[in-house]
Amino acid sequence: MYNDLLISLPVVFFLSLVVALILYLVGWIVAAKGEKTAGKGAPYACGEDLPPRKFQVNVEEFLIYAVYFLIFDIFAFTLATSLKTPGYFPIVYTLIVLMAVVILMPLRRRG
Amino acid sequence: MGLDYAAVEKEVCKKMTAETIVSMIRILVFPGALFLFTLAFFYEWVDRKFFARLQNRYGPLHTGPHGILQPIADFFKLLSKEDITPHASDKLVFILAPIFYFALPLTTLFVIPILSQTSLISFEGDLIFVIFAFTLIIITVFLAGWSSINRFSTIGSMRAAVQMLGYEIPMGLVMVGPAIAAGSLSISRIVEWQSLNFWLILLQPLGFAVFTVCLLAELQFVPFDIPEAETEIVAGWRTEFSGRKLALLRLGRDLELVLASALITSLYLGGSQQFWLIPPIVIFLVKTTFAVMLLSLLRAVFARFRIDQMLSGMWKYLLPLAALQIILIQLGLGG
Repeated sequence: MYNDLLISLPVVFFLSLVVALILYLVGWIVAAKGEKTAGKGAPYACGEDLPPRKFQVNVEEFLIYAVYFLIFDIFAFTLATSLKTPGYFPIVYTLIVLMAVVILMPLRRRG
Repeated sequence: MGLDYAAVEKEVCKKMTAETIVSMIRILVFPGALFLFTLAFFYEWVDRKFFARLQNRYGPLHTGPHGILQPIADFFKLLSKEDITPHASDKLVFILAPIFYFALPLTTLFVIPILSQTSLISFEGDLIFVIFAFTLIIITVFLAGWSSINRFSTIGSMRAAVQMLGYEIPMGLVMVGPAIAAGSLSISRIVEWQSLNFWLILLQPLGFAVFTVCLLAELQFVPFDIPEAETEIVAGWRTEFSGRKLALLRLGRDLELVLASALITSLYLGGSQQFWLIPPIVIFLVKTTFAVMLLSLLRAVFARFRIDQMLSGMWKYLLPLAALQIILIQLGLGG
């Protein structure tokens, strides 16, 4: 039982983080330490001189996929957890989801 | 009354220490971290060499026999390079992202059976955990690019997030396929079921195909390397990473490749099962090498899609195929 406690996901995840930190530390010890110049800390910009600013990418045209994603994510989870139920339940789920997608189709065309 | 409590306690302590040491060796050395690192470097070499040979190049050649040590050399070279953090970046996220990108695939590999039919960590529902981990990896990628405050990184991370909307659902659906066939959400049970029945690739070829395509997208391999498209946005979300951070990112990517091939093996190719006198680990290595070569082959024969082509293609073709596979299984075909 004690062994089960040791080999469990949280412990393994913690140990993985520790391993990563050790590699990080090794990197810090062996790495070359150059002098810090203004150009080094500037964002990479292919030779152009661009100010480091946050900027927004327009992904509006992909909104419809995000909506589909929400529907299907729940669908996949329902399907995964309905293993032991009789065969026609998942098929009914599938049909409901397909109906929702068909209803959403005109929205995409308008968008 | 003659019980010597001190001696019993000492005995229990000794046993616990021995157990702890054995467990630590299993987690950190074999079949844990060190073994998985070796595997990760080896599969990077297999991938690079096979990919190069398909393109009529030689690939890695000089470090070790046939360049087999090249990925390790690359890793240590990167570790010893100067680590530059841009002034404008969100420091905390920028530093933590490579650590998590490395730790997540490493943790997830522990639920895959490697040495025998049962994995080191096995519980009912570890398949759901794998799906969850894949999502977390992409969120880490998004945060890594977003925290760099660089236009190439920002575009790369947005593309990674948008791309996830495309392949995550078909992948989730077809990963449930083997679970329905085996009647369990545990990967170890699925492997066990396959050793008693057929390999699932024979029963669910459609699911196997969809899963492979989705893994290409998850690994950001060529037809779907949109988030790090070299010819468009430098190195995408990885543009600002250097030195030890880049080393960790690359090792994380290699571990993800091991995870992907191990998943193909476990879910569809029968996993690590004993065959005649050959031990399961050898079978597992042969099958995963085959899976890596399959992924590199697909990487070599396709050209990059645009992000909108990728998304609409995934929803138009891959998702209906995945749903069809699930319906076929429910109707009694393929499980």
